[in-house]
Amino acid sequence: MRISIDHQAIDVNPGETILEAVRKTGIDIPTLCYHEAFGGQGMCRMCMVEVKNGNTTRLVASCTYPIYEEIEVKTSTPAIEKIRRSIVTLLYRTAPKSEFMENLYREYNCKENRLSIDLNERCILCRLCVRACEEIGSSAISAIFRGTEKRISTPFDEASAVCIGCAACVEVCPTGAIGLSETDEERTIWNKTFALVHCERCGKPFATREQLDYIATRVGMKDNAANFCEDCRKKNLATQISQFI
Amino acid sequence: MQQAINNDKRMILVCCGTGCLANGSMEVYQALQQQLSTNEVQVKTYTKATGCNGWCEQGPLVKIMPDDITYCLVNAKDVPEIIAKTLQTGEIINRLLYRDPKSKKRFKSHHEIDFYKKQHKVALRNIGEIDPASIEDYISTDGYKALKKVLQEMTSAQVIDEVMKSGLRGRGGGGFPTGLKWKAGATTKASPRYVICNGDEGDPGAFMDRSIMEGDPHTVIEGMIICAYAIGACAGYIYVRNEYSLAVKNLNIAINNARSQGYLGKDILGSQLAFDIEIVRGGGAFVCGEETALIASIEGNVGEPRDKYIFPTEKGLWGQPTIINNVETWANIPVIINKGAAEFASIGTEGSKGTKVFSLVGKVINTGLVEVPMGTTLREIIFDIGGGIPGGRNFKAVQTGGPSGGCIPEHMLDLQVDFDTLIKAGSMMGSGGLIVMDDRTCMVEIARYYANFLAGESCGKCTPCREGIKAMLEILNNICQGEGREEDLEFLQEIGETMQTASLCALGRTAPNPVLSTLHHFREEYLEHINNARCPAGVCRDLTEFYIDGEPCTGCGLCVKNCPVDAISGEKKKVHVIDQDKCIQCGECINHCKFDAVKIR
Amino acid sequence: MSADARQIEAKNYTAILNNYPAEKRYILAIMQDMQGEFRYLPQESLELIASYVNVPLSRVYSMATFYKAFSLVPKGRINFKVCDGTACHIKGSNIIIDMIYQHLGIKPGETTADGEFSIETVNCLGACALAPALVANERVHPKLTSSGIIKIIKSYEGQIYATGN
Repeated sequence: MRISIDHQAIDVNPGETILEAVRKTGIDIPTLCYHEAFGGQGMCRMCMVEVKNGNTTRLVASCTYPIYEEIEVKTSTPAIEKIRRSIVTLLYRTAPKSEFMENLYREYNCKENRLSIDLNERCILCRLCVRACEEIGSSAISAIFRGTEKRISTPFDEASAVCIGCAACVEVCPTGAIGLSETDEERTIWNKTFALVHCERCGKPFATREQLDYIATRVGMKDNAANFCEDCRKKNLATQISQFI
Repeated sequence: MQQAINNDKRMILVCCGTGCLANGSMEVYQALQQQLSTNEVQVKTYTKATGCNGWCEQGPLVKIMPDDITYCLVNAKDVPEIIAKTLQTGEIINRLLYRDPKSKKRFKSHHEIDFYKKQHKVALRNIGEIDPASIEDYISTDGYKALKKVLQEMTSAQVIDEVMKSGLRGRGGGGFPTGLKWKAGATTKASPRYVICNGDEGDPGAFMDRSIMEGDPHTVIEGMIICAYAIGACAGYIYVRNEYSLAVKNLNIAINNARSQGYLGKDILGSQLAFDIEIVRGGGAFVCGEETALIASIEGNVGEPRDKYIFPTEKGLWGQPTIINNVETWANIPVIINKGAAEFASIGTEGSKGTKVFSLVGKVINTGLVEVPMGTTLREIIFDIGGGIPGGRNFKAVQTGGPSGGCIPEHMLDLQVDFDTLIKAGSMMGSGGLIVMDDRTCMVEIARYYANFLAGESCGKCTPCREGIKAMLEILNNICQGEGREEDLEFLQEIGETMQTASLCALGRTAPNPVLSTLHHFREEYLEHINNARCPAGVCRDLTEFYIDGEPCTGCGLCVKNCPVDAISGEKKKVHVIDQDKCIQCGECINHCKFDAVKIR
Repeated sequence: MSADARQIEAKNYTAILNNYPAEKRYILAIMQDMQGEFRYLPQESLELIASYVNVPLSRVYSMATFYKAFSLVPKGRINFKVCDGTACHIKGSNIIIDMIYQHLGIKPGETTADGEFSIETVNCLGACALAPALVANERVHPKLTSSGIIKIIKSYEGQIYATGN
């Protein structure tokens, strides 16, 4: 079916979200909680767009709005920009020292305000880490409590029995909010310390034992095959991962 | 009224709703049961424990029929006298009758009192009159008659049509036309389909749904079965707030009774309809009153809402077509079927048909549940039915719609209450809470109170709501502590507008309402806090001081006796003094001083 | 905890779990029964629930922390739920909370050191006409006053409290 995005005509499949459709056009919609691999979550509300359907016009979250009718979409209006600036202003105080939020703050020309700031805060609660852990990892972390006390953690703030130390959460985190410390021998993350496995070919530490075992189980390999680092095993690893995403 | 009375039997109705129970009505009920079974009472009697009459102020309430006597504030110790006098000889015990505080007159029956006279009970028609644990009682007041009519004389399309014609709109807060909702559910193609009752009444100050679930559970059940027939549903869920344990108990009893009498289960009343109901207890989360959060909760998740671009009527519980309606909405369905849509629609306003149950609470003389036709004015409800403001104080505002609503000031008291007028006034109907405030209520503190409430109740998923409430709360706390600045007010407005447009669900979208409406109607009060570090209502602790005015003070010491923290000192017949470090501003001294010597600044 | 006590508790966990099918949608009901039985949700109980319904522990923990009906630390033998609904609020519920703090030294969310009393605020008991009110272990105390609350606390102190009305 055909819809229009910023006066451009686009072909879409019924049920596709507006964000997915927009990404085909090369138009940029800002997002904080969206990831290609996980889809939209509707949490940050930065991706709001204006939708005209017949006689009704309203603002919707493009990452969760499914297209079933021939709508007209505007990805930016003064009202939308105002919302985006407001969201960045509010979120800035949750991750003030991160480069990511600093950049956004400047980009949206946010005004200073008198709200208190905790310089140690880093998490903007985009929950990409939780999604990564669900999809790639073992669901070791989740969003706990609610309202203004919401935060990400392992159960009881203790080392999680199922955490495999894959650090997929760190990879996807935009603000570097997850603590990860690493030496040649060990990786410590979410209060758990793992021994690192070294590449058989180049000797580089590249994964935890638990991570490799987990991948092997999910892919259905009985014996964990050769321990090669990403560079040394790029192609094979890519095939393995694409099999279970 | 009561048809289930044998002509030679007297009926004694003891209110056993949560409110009266708290005041000892169970002891009254048990005393009556016990003494009437052992006593040689010449007259036959039947004692019934009913649901909440909605007049908790005057409880425990005992009604005697067919004499039509209402006794108030009854104690178990009064029972022997009631038996000896009223039951045996028909003598009325005057001291137990309701006494109007203004006219000092005593009234024999609650039917004569303004609080009841001016009400029009539809959803509350049975409560206080029947024993909720008895399905026979419900049947004796036209119970399940509507269901029979629907199954034997109407098609599902006709049922939906009737509900549409009635003009009934959702009573939980959304005000969505119920008939349209059912129609949408019936026209989708997917199956199975579900029916849900939203009993997660979370607005602080609202207890009408509690009262209906406790006092007349069958009306909800019957409404749901009728809907199941209309849309073709096989299973229903009643989601009840965890804190309402008596409601859960009575609903369970009612469901079991309905099952054993063939109103639930397979081949209902010999028809092809198969439908049953399960109770799901909430976990203590206000946000679960939002329908997508409620659905998520039933499914076994945290109660986080989702964007509603596809409605639950299309994809709801477990992705299936689902009808969710509020308790009070369900309670109206049997009446619409029995009396017909036209009669239902003959009451109310153009856009809002029927009646609405309000919980009238706060600084008002007659607190309780009030059911009136839509279109009744606020003034009538608060002053004619509610009796006005106690303690000789002045009306300041009435808060409607709970945490999603706003405050309405005095000059708007003649507003005819209905869904649309309240929205135009910057508030909303919500579930029907009406919180009356007097000049000793601080409107800034009320905004802060609601922001604090929502900070804990927001699910925390989306940024505008979570971070917006956090920011608003911080600013309001500052203002209440005397650290506010004028530019804060503009910032509050800006954050509020972002939340209204960008939040994911209705909780977030309406969260700014208490702040924005008090800012609109009571801006001077905000400015007084900010510019003069003063709280005119004498509520904000940091900006208020209770002190004793030397002139009127006679040194009688009554305040000292009643101060719970020993903050007052002074010699007999000499002016007393309040220790500001100890004073918790509870107001007991003000309440007890006969000379008006305690002042607030 | 002694080995015997552990055994008893394990039996009780199983008894509660077995009342429900092993499906995700019963997590809430199972937790409520456990909260009622143990006065809180011990860590073990969450682990058992997670394995019973086959859901990651992190999700069960999310639910236990999201819903206010549950507590991860034991409540007192007498648990005061002070209503902070709007009607109770404007009639002085914060004063009641102050008085309890003055007399017992605990703030909302806390339990006394001897495990006797705990206090929490709840949103609305639905007894708005009797504001301010609190519930102590299922029993509603209406129309509280700053002096009346002291009497109520004293009536529970040192008492051998029989559960249920």
